[in-house]
Amino acid sequence: MTDGLFERVLLPIADDEDAETTCRAVRPHLEAAGGRAIAVHVIEKAGGAPDKASVEQRELRAEGIFDVVREALAGLDVETDIAYGTDVSETIFDAAEEFDATAIAFTPRSGSRWVRMLTGDVALDLITDTDRPVVVLPDRRKAERDGT
Amino acid sequence: MSGSDQELARDLGFLEAYTIGLGTMIGAGIFVLPSIAADQAGPASMVSFFVGGMVSLLAAISLSELATGMPKAGGSYYYVNRALGPFFGSIVGWGMWAGLTFASAFYMIGFGRYLFGDGGLAEFVAFLPQGSAISISAAALVMAAILTGVNYYGVKETGALQNVIVLSLVGLILSFLALGIFSGPTIEEFNPEGWPAVAATVGTVYVTFIGFEVIATSAEEIKNPSRNLPLAMIAAVVTPTLMYVGVMFVSTGTLTRDALAGSDVPVATVARQIFDPIATIVSLLPLVDVGVEAAGSFGALLMIVGAVLATVSSANASILSAARVNFAMGRDRILINWLNEVHDRFRTPYRSITATGIITLVLIAIGVGIGTLAEVASFMYLITYALVHVAVVVLRRANPEDYEPTFRIPSLLYPVVPVLGFVASVAILLQMDLIVQAIGIVIVVLGILWYVVYARERALSESLVGEALSPEPAMAANGEGPYRVVVPVANPETERDLLRMAAASAYAHDDDGAELIAVNVIEVPQQTSLSQDLTFEEERVERQQELLSAARDIAADLDIGLRTRAIVGRDTGAAILDVIEDEGADHVLLGWKGTRSRRDHVLGSTIDPVVGRAPCDATLVTLGPEGTRGEGDVLVLAGEGPHAPVAARRGGEFVAAAEKGSTLTMLNVQQPDEGGEEELSPEERGRALIEELAERAGIEAVDFESRVEVTDGANIENVVLGVAEEYDTVCVGATRSGAVSQALFGSLPETVGEKAEGTVVMARGPEESPLSIREAIVRRLEM
Repeated sequence: MTDGLFERVLLPIADDEDAETTCRAVRPHLEAAGGRAIAVHVIEKAGGAPDKASVEQRELRAEGIFDVVREALAGLDVETDIAYGTDVSETIFDAAEEFDATAIAFTPRSGSRWVRMLTGDVALDLITDTDRPVVVLPDRRKAERDGT
Repeated sequence: MSGSDQELARDLGFLEAYTIGLGTMIGAGIFVLPSIAADQAGPASMVSFFVGGMVSLLAAISLSELATGMPKAGGSYYYVNRALGPFFGSIVGWGMWAGLTFASAFYMIGFGRYLFGDGGLAEFVAFLPQGSAISISAAALVMAAILTGVNYYGVKETGALQNVIVLSLVGLILSFLALGIFSGPTIEEFNPEGWPAVAATVGTVYVTFIGFEVIATSAEEIKNPSRNLPLAMIAAVVTPTLMYVGVMFVSTGTLTRDALAGSDVPVATVARQIFDPIATIVSLLPLVDVGVEAAGSFGALLMIVGAVLATVSSANASILSAARVNFAMGRDRILINWLNEVHDRFRTPYRSITATGIITLVLIAIGVGIGTLAEVASFMYLITYALVHVAVVVLRRANPEDYEPTFRIPSLLYPVVPVLGFVASVAILLQMDLIVQAIGIVIVVLGILWYVVYARERALSESLVGEALSPEPAMAANGEGPYRVVVPVANPETERDLLRMAAASAYAHDDDGAELIAVNVIEVPQQTSLSQDLTFEEERVERQQELLSAARDIAADLDIGLRTRAIVGRDTGAAILDVIEDEGADHVLLGWKGTRSRRDHVLGSTIDPVVGRAPCDATLVTLGPEGTRGEGDVLVLAGEGPHAPVAARRGGEFVAAAEKGSTLTMLNVQQPDEGGEEELSPEERGRALIEELAERAGIEAVDFESRVEVTDGANIENVVLGVAEEYDTVCVGATRSGAVSQALFGSLPETVGEKAEGTVVMARGPEESPLSIREAIVRRLEM
């Protein structure tokens, strides 16, 4: 069962730290399944209003994030892609469709209710609106910290 | 980054681009400037608005060509820096940043006036204090802080909201104009202060026209830019120009000049008057009883709401534009990149936004007059646009490879537009208040100082002015003399291999007495004098001598001519570039440790400038284990990049020079066929490409093996890395051209250089290096 899920798994990655925790969490599953990881970073567009940051600036940042991904998943089959869209979760679903992903996997990021309200709760949208399996992976480092 | 991805990033159509520009333009002046303008020049100030609009139109035309030619974040700053070099780049970068903060402060005080000024919102809300300067400043400060926060936290704004705001503003102003003209404005004395005052007022009101720059700074996000960008810019200039002239006509015709000049909320005050007729008409209807007073108040209230929306949206756009300018400056290494960090969570350039916000708050708090704020912003932008006009001419003359505007100024208007635009901008600058000129010049001088102490050493770009002055396309610097390879040496362990690989290249040109030049630079920190430091550092000098004498021995072994250059300097990169220019070198070969420094430099503080600017072939070598260093089985990545032939030539040279059993393989990676409609199979396509490449590289004489891999949908990078493992030396050509790109060789070559186990040779041909002004003049005199 697991093998099928991680055959072509889409990893939405938000930032450097997210790249590390997600890759760390997904690595054993990928190794077991011999699957491929598709890391996607979404560049959010305002669709008419001026964007907060220049697209070029965020593309550079995405390349930095992908460097972290490639390093963390070194030796495995990894693909990276920048996706653009006004709605982050929609864009992730579109990318999953495009790559014919077997599942979408992510580690939830911490953040207060306030921050979630301001930035949008992508995790919730991913779980509720999905059309394919979604795997929520535990943040291993955090789990270890909390355990001790 | 492939072409199709770029297209996806473009989500602004004509309407969006137009409203972004219009949003800044309308907000800026229409609600705040009429009182200031009327005070300075009376009704004739409508001529000032018209002239300001025409000068902006010229700038919009020049900017359209530049923005479609180089759609990069940063707008005017980017074009000026690219065309005129980092000296003017620093001036314009700092100037635009300053201009945008002054403009933001100006909008915010306008906002404060509409809330708490005489006749502002406070009049309608009983508990709000009215008319005090302190409450106006406080409102401006609070709103500026809120806007900074909104942009810091990346609170989502949508295009729909933007469109609604701008369209309702346009609607408001059009109804204001219609009613105003209907109420029969009468102008008594058109030009009470004389034409010089009118000319001076152009400088004041120009602040309102800086908004269309926002369109240029978003050039990379506009769909079908060759059409939409110039159209949006021109429309975004013409619409408000007509509106301003109309608003000035109605305002000065409705109120006396003194009443208008004394008003904090000019448009609302005028609306109070012109809504009277409506009340009269409405009162004729049965069952409706509206007092004249009430109608006037309603009109005033509408205008206040409009003014609040307009000033806020203008200030918002300015803060975001400032962040783009900061980013572009950081990208060109004119500004510390620290400022451009994107927030992990909010994905906003939060430091840049905070800095702009703080400066804006300071400007509001220290109580710079609202007129002065406007004029300084105008001043900075007039300088910017004057230089933009120069940049168009320089780029057209120099015609660098990466400049291919899809919109060109029509031949009928070129060079009339840039020349006229430049002259007009300078003329307005000269008309401005002494105090404004003084503040403006201080900002310019700060920009120059910044260039001298910071940017000069680091900036990646070079001026194209020399290129533009030169009578015809310049020849590469290596036109004559024997073939020379410059090899910077610093490490005794790698010295031999680097020299041997450079010698391989020299052998291939042996017929004209090719030679190597070994360079070592002792770097001396800025604060110590060159001679003083040397006496303390005899040890370093000794080591330099050892390195260079070892180089001579190695050259004797290799049977190649070699000269050495021992240099003491502030900056290794600059020193090596000097040697390259001095010797008229044809090739520079450097070693690289294979680790990136991400902050200020891509590949390292020495490598970046040398690779970015050397006017000759440049080769960067990551040495693998012994026996793999430019020998053994050599693999050339035969892709389609512009520098692939150079990589193939290097591979051929290595194999030709190697002593024993070295082989050469050319690798091409193809995507599998999708529909099966292609005439050639992927393998055949790959082979054809390889043959063509070998021909272009001139290595048909060397035996090589062709190898074509089909990806099966896998990432090309992974395929390449996989194949590379089987070989000792991998040669890869730069995938990017142009000195001003963040990655120097492109991401694939640099990844291979970092990841591959063996020796990796990254190669590129001569950068089309711009001539210096001095070189161009010399060349001209020689003609």
